[in-house]
Amino acid sequence: MSDVTVSRTRRGGSGLNVLLGLTLLALLLIMWLALSVETRTFWTANNIANLLRQGAMIAILAIGETFVIITGGIDLSVGAVAGFVSMMVALLLTHDLGLASTIAGAVAISLGIGIFIGLFHAFGVVQMGLPPFIMTLATMYALRGIGLLITNGATISITNDAFTGFSRQSFLGFPWTDGSWFEIPMLFWMVILVAVPAYILLNQSRWGRYLFAIGSNKEAARLSGVNVTAMIYLAYVLSAFCAAFVGVLLAMRIGIGNPTQAEGWELQAIASSVIGGTSLFGAVGSIHGPLIGSFILTTINNGANLLNLNPFWQRIITGALIIVVVYFDSLRRGKR
Amino acid sequence: MARGKPRLSRVPIHRPRFERSMSLSTAPAPTASGAGAPILVLEKLDKRFGATHALKGVDLAFERGEIHAIVGENGAGKSTLIKLLTGVHPRTSGEVRWQGAPVPLVSPHEAIGLGINAVHQEVVLCPHLTVAANIFLGDESTRAGLLDNRTMLREGQSLLDELGFDLPAGAILSSLTIGQQQLVATARAERRGAKFLIFDEPTAYLTRQEAAALFKLIRRLKANGVTVVYISHRLEEVFELCDRVSILRDGALVGTRRIAETNENDLIALMINRSIEQIYHKDKVAFGETILTTDKLSGQGFRDVSVSVREGEIVGLYGLIGAGRSEFVQSLFGRFPATGGRIVWQGREVTIRSERTAMDLGIALAPESRRDQGLCLGLGVGFNINLPIFKRLSLGPLMNLGMESAAADKQIRDVQIKTASRTSPASSLSGGNQQKIVIGKWLNHGAKLFIFDEPTVGVDVGTKAEIYRLLGSLLQNGAGVIMISSYLPEVYELADTLHVFRRGAIAASHKFKDASHETILSEAIGV
Repeated sequence: MSDVTVSRTRRGGSGLNVLLGLTLLALLLIMWLALSVETRTFWTANNIANLLRQGAMIAILAIGETFVIITGGIDLSVGAVAGFVSMMVALLLTHDLGLASTIAGAVAISLGIGIFIGLFHAFGVVQMGLPPFIMTLATMYALRGIGLLITNGATISITNDAFTGFSRQSFLGFPWTDGSWFEIPMLFWMVILVAVPAYILLNQSRWGRYLFAIGSNKEAARLSGVNVTAMIYLAYVLSAFCAAFVGVLLAMRIGIGNPTQAEGWELQAIASSVIGGTSLFGAVGSIHGPLIGSFILTTINNGANLLNLNPFWQRIITGALIIVVVYFDSLRRGKR
Repeated sequence: MARGKPRLSRVPIHRPRFERSMSLSTAPAPTASGAGAPILVLEKLDKRFGATHALKGVDLAFERGEIHAIVGENGAGKSTLIKLLTGVHPRTSGEVRWQGAPVPLVSPHEAIGLGINAVHQEVVLCPHLTVAANIFLGDESTRAGLLDNRTMLREGQSLLDELGFDLPAGAILSSLTIGQQQLVATARAERRGAKFLIFDEPTAYLTRQEAAALFKLIRRLKANGVTVVYISHRLEEVFELCDRVSILRDGALVGTRRIAETNENDLIALMINRSIEQIYHKDKVAFGETILTTDKLSGQGFRDVSVSVREGEIVGLYGLIGAGRSEFVQSLFGRFPATGGRIVWQGREVTIRSERTAMDLGIALAPESRRDQGLCLGLGVGFNINLPIFKRLSLGPLMNLGMESAAADKQIRDVQIKTASRTSPASSLSGGNQQKIVIGKWLNHGAKLFIFDEPTVGVDVGTKAEIYRLLGSLLQNGAGVIMISSYLPEVYELADTLHVFRRGAIAASHKFKDASHETILSEAIGV
């Protein structure tokens, strides 16, 4: 008979996660079905491959973001990191810096920059005691500024075809329902490349368990022997690393480097994560949730284009969807 | 059920009988024996939550100006009763008569209008506002539609002074101790013209002095004709303060007694059908090797503390809150490392710099506050139990899911945690069962020295007995225990060695029961 039961403390249970995942998957399939009936262009090998390509980058950002949100934090900088890294990788590839200007070297350095930014975030949050919102808001602004300073506001065109060509490649294919050939885009394989280790880390490793424990009660985790500092570093590094990876993919896809790219992507990543059932209070989240969430958002955009809807409507629909999904989720998880 | 909703116009709205400017202590004191009609009568009060029958036809009459204790185990229906009386939940059936007239009592607003108020265990006020702003919350003085802070400050201060509280009305609430905040909550209820005031476990987080101030206030309220309902697990407080006591068990009223005509054993028997000897039952265990010795250990909040713990021994640390006991054990656990002195662990000198070091040595700490320090409330019971041993349950970095569930299930069985499953969130369990999770997770870890900081706060008598049994089984297995408690009977009955803390140092040490309660208490207070 205690008054402990606050709504957000009522969560948990892997059964719940599976159920939510299935509900979201059903939502995604219903949207696909409706669009296939409504338009003739949606359910084509070409468009689906395109949709997978479009959604890939937000999906990877959302996965990284989810690690931070599970610890009860937030990372507002992921869009800026992606933009900054796209500029850095372009800069490296268009100069002659020996090993650093090879594709492998440039990508490695770019990912290293991501790790460094993540370390810096965690330093601010843990050592300086700044709220995660403030710390990452600050780097979100500063990174764009640093990028503009370096390039003097100019856009860098990448002339390396081997690099940019990667984003147009595909791997494995199968015949589509209309007889044409469907190939899984390389960008989508990149999502899988990130999602599988992320899933294992979050659900099968003890570090994943610790992230949840910290999100639920940092002090209890500390008193249970969890190295809270190291785990928070891990979360922010993972988020920034994913963002840097997206920055590299972005540079490949659009063939230019510009620090103002990926504007607003942090909010799309957070929205995907939240639609996927992640709680901004921490300690609730999964990998499949944000993944499905991001493709739901992409489907809305893609479908609205095909239906010739005013693009402004896409934003309104996205906003409404966030409210509806999170509301039903909170209803299901307990009253209030 | 099926009672029509009475017309609200029949509800008598209470007005304070005396002006607040009049000194409370000069108001006429009605007879405490309650010669007049009862102020509140409950008839066959019944409440069901779905399948749960929380209150079973309770008949109870509260007299004007009495202090009426309600005791019972967790889950006996005390909280439900308060929620019905304060209008938080509507009743399922039965009748409530306030000053002779039936009342619907379906909203907190209505209850407050009648003069029924509650002061909760955990203060429900706004920590960032001033004391005065909290007292006037929801009923602010205004001038021309704007807040009149000066008047509120003045009136708030004069109310605090009248009640005999030494508190500044302009202070920010969060700068006060929990005890002082509780006094503010009482002042707030007083200002609303409370005729019927419910205190729910008010002393759980209070120091002895704060509790004494609160008791003085409660007696004063009584003298002014206010009916006080006092809910507490601490029976000695009930005997010190109350006129009558009602005992709830499994949602039913099993009896009402005049305090003068009953005793502690009698009450416990009514509450749980078990005697006090059975609660503090402890098997004799032979002491073994010395596990831990501290030599003049000093740190933040304590100094020159020398204690030693042997296998099979319970070392009790008694003292007032803030006497340095918690700080001392936290330094043993590496939370706030000691700054001076020596720690000898199983014959070898060690420094403990982090929780991890302490755990690796074999020290376990079940912290004072379950909610803030002990549990990840939103996560599963099994998750919480396994948290300290995830490393042992994993192969390399990956969890062994089979071992994980098996370890959780075994501990839930061994410690007898009542839960639907290991994946149910810890928040869904009762306070006593939550405490068993905290203890269970350290049993799981398998330490040599167990430190329990206030293990039975807010836990009912039956669960207390189970927790003591768990301590006993630790001793049987050759572990040592350090137990901090502010509840003297508990450390008195259980500790083989008892150290009394006062202002950061050990004021006295005792062997098992070699001094009286009074002696120990005066050593702790320093008189």
